[in-house]
Amino acid sequence: MAILRLENIYKDFSGLEVLCGISLEIQRGERHAIIGPNGAGKSTVFNVITGLYNPSRGKIFFLDQDITGWPIHKIALLGLVRSFQITTIFPTMTVFENLRNAVVSKFNRRFNFTSLLSRSKEIRRDCDRILEWLRLSHVRDVPACELSYGWQRRLEVSLTLALDPALILLDEPTAGIDVKETLTFVEFMKEATEGKTLVIVEHDMDVVFKIADRVTVLNNGKVLVTGSLNEIRGNGEVQKAYAGRK
Amino acid sequence: MSFPFEIYVIQATHGVVYGMLLFLVASGLTLVFGMMGVLNLAHASFYMLGAYFAYSVTLYSGNFWLSLLMSPLIVGTLGILVERFLLRKTYKIGHTAQLLLTFGIFFVFGEFVRIIWGTIPLSISVPTLFAGDIPFMGRTYPIYRFFILGFSLLLLVGVALMLMRTRIGIIIRAAVSDAEMVAALGTNVPIVFLGVFGGGAALAAIAGVIAAPFLSIYLGMGGDALLDCFVVIVVGGFGSLPGALIASLMIGELQSFGILWIPRLALVFQFLLMAIVLIIKPTGLFGEKE
Amino acid sequence: MSHLRGFQLGLGIAVAVVILLVPFLFPEIGIHLAVEVLIYALFAVSFNVLLGYCGMLPFGHAAFFGVGGYTVALILRNFPGTPLLLTFLMAALLALVIGASIGFFCVRLSGAYFSLISIASQMFLFAVALKWRSLTSGDDGMTFTRPELHLPILGGISMRSVVNIYYFTLIVVAVAILACYLFLKTPLGNSLVCIREKENRASFLGYNVFLTKLAAFLASSILGGLAGGLFSFFQAFVGPSFIDINMSMVVVVMTVIGGKRHFLGPVLGAAFYVVFQDWMSSLTNYWMIVLGITFIVIVLYAEGGLISLFENERVRLWVSRLKK
Repeated sequence: MAILRLENIYKDFSGLEVLCGISLEIQRGERHAIIGPNGAGKSTVFNVITGLYNPSRGKIFFLDQDITGWPIHKIALLGLVRSFQITTIFPTMTVFENLRNAVVSKFNRRFNFTSLLSRSKEIRRDCDRILEWLRLSHVRDVPACELSYGWQRRLEVSLTLALDPALILLDEPTAGIDVKETLTFVEFMKEATEGKTLVIVEHDMDVVFKIADRVTVLNNGKVLVTGSLNEIRGNGEVQKAYAGRK
Repeated sequence: MSFPFEIYVIQATHGVVYGMLLFLVASGLTLVFGMMGVLNLAHASFYMLGAYFAYSVTLYSGNFWLSLLMSPLIVGTLGILVERFLLRKTYKIGHTAQLLLTFGIFFVFGEFVRIIWGTIPLSISVPTLFAGDIPFMGRTYPIYRFFILGFSLLLLVGVALMLMRTRIGIIIRAAVSDAEMVAALGTNVPIVFLGVFGGGAALAAIAGVIAAPFLSIYLGMGGDALLDCFVVIVVGGFGSLPGALIASLMIGELQSFGILWIPRLALVFQFLLMAIVLIIKPTGLFGEKE
Repeated sequence: MSHLRGFQLGLGIAVAVVILLVPFLFPEIGIHLAVEVLIYALFAVSFNVLLGYCGMLPFGHAAFFGVGGYTVALILRNFPGTPLLLTFLMAALLALVIGASIGFFCVRLSGAYFSLISIASQMFLFAVALKWRSLTSGDDGMTFTRPELHLPILGGISMRSVVNIYYFTLIVVAVAILACYLFLKTPLGNSLVCIREKENRASFLGYNVFLTKLAAFLASSILGGLAGGLFSFFQAFVGPSFIDINMSMVVVVMTVIGGKRHFLGPVLGAAFYVVFQDWMSSLTNYWMIVLGITFIVIVLYAEGGLISLFENERVRLWVSRLKK
């Protein structure tokens, strides 16, 4: 069943139409990649889904709820979380504290002012569990800004996972990671998103081949084709679209 | 409470005179904010320094017109030094640091003025060329105020021509619109910004000089002008010169007629207007959409 | 216990002892200054909830200080029988109400826009205080007599002597600052910091940025109002100077110089400001410009403020040097 449904989404910025009638369905449990040449509108799709932009036309359904026009935090709390292409972590906080921010949100304690945060065993235990699960224990108390770029990207993805969301959107998660580390990172992502629904925007086709079940190709703000990995691989249109832009 | 027609015209003229002065000060502030997103809290200090330097130059040289030349030069240079050696350091740190720094500079300039010139308000007499009154609307009106009006208009036209017709003007307007793009096209944005900053300071200083014989020279004039400037750039829109012009005239008239009709509430209305604009359309009546 | 902890603990105890014994250690003028320090410390701490913890820079924070001050004065002048603690409670509550009203509109803006609307609202209130003569006596301000403090067992305590005022202020300020400290250690306090650190990331993790900032604004306004109430009580007077732009500027200077990154930074800043002003103003005419230059230097080169001199790294350095 479709966990996320985009119906005829249009988005224009002061006359410039970036998305022109995107319709898309993501099935529960699938790993879906969105690819396309630069400027195809991939990041904009994410921004519209997660509430950063309101679509000019069209509707978005998540878990059968119409979330079109919802504020960002409300969508996130419903279970739809994203990571960013540019690392967006809490720089002066430690890895533990970074994850704790997500855990506090997950437990709905963001506005709690009647108990001390450091005293909550529940929250601490969940943080430690996540640190172990995502192999971040060894950098538990390192300030996020002191991590290497690769580990910061890992933290970026981990923050979304810590919320235990129903749907995870990863925006070019391997951006800037060198080839050697990418392999391990991809394995990490596969393991960590086991059993969850994943949508990933990627440029690196190797990553797409390793992770995705289904692929949607965007070009010029429209869906060119959607299909299984193999169907897309051999598709002439897709190759043309990539060849046409460099 | 109604007044004879002449009074309205006279008050309206007061409003335009003050509005133009305000525009000369606010224009630099709004351009600088539009270009680099920096709200220079020290900007009105340039206005104040312009007036105080005018006092000293006039006192020692006996010539008011000399101060019209020297004051902007001194203050413009000061502005360039401030940007180059202080403000530039904060670009990496962040907006909060910029606001705090310009606030600190405002504070220090204020103290500097107090130490050198003292707390007692000073005055310069109106230059003999424009001294006296002329008949206007059945009453008399100081000639000097017409001079202020005329001179500001002249400056306004000069600045407008510069921005519209010259190459550097086009670059400045482009940079206000999109500094990154302009930099990508090869323009040395830091130098342009330095120039705008210094030019804005000089313009504010000129306003200070010509305002000096008209309003008195006092310690709080920087702060008072700053608050008025804030209202202007909020209402007119950050980065918009036409907006700043219209808003300045509006504020000038609001103060002028406010004092006439509702003297007790004039101050209140000004800030209420600012708050309302900030709430409804933070980018101002003419500003760009964020 | 490591040497570092020992040193910090020792210093803390020494400071606490001095604070408790101020009336016995200093002449009357010193006690007056100490009361000022306490009140400004609370004011600065309230300001830093917004600046240091939530990343917002209001240039009109005197609004709450003034509201608190005027409330206390109005109550004690027009209803002299009101219990003292109730009076202060009402000052804090009214500041909270004003904070909620202003905050609802201010908080959605950020950066320079926020700073400006903060000034606008404070100047608006200043204009009201100045012009509504029938209520506030305008420029002249209002005086009143300090009533006794009635406590259950101890009975009535006169508030005529500055010693009594000192201890009363000390207790109220200590409780308020402690409450603020604990508040900042709760999950909500943590949410404030999330917003400051990476607003967009917090938003995408489910944090309601608007409501969180509003919560910070409310906390800040209650404490600021309480500080203003204490100040008017201390002076037995209130005037437009409580709510003018100068008072807004003073709290910015104190907090930044003291240090916005540490909870106690503002407290140190308040102490520094009051003492420095008192000491220097008699010596030289230039003291304010020295303050201003210090401020600029700290903004550019020492964001952690004066209190960063006491931070762990520095202390470790000093302790190791002392040991040699």
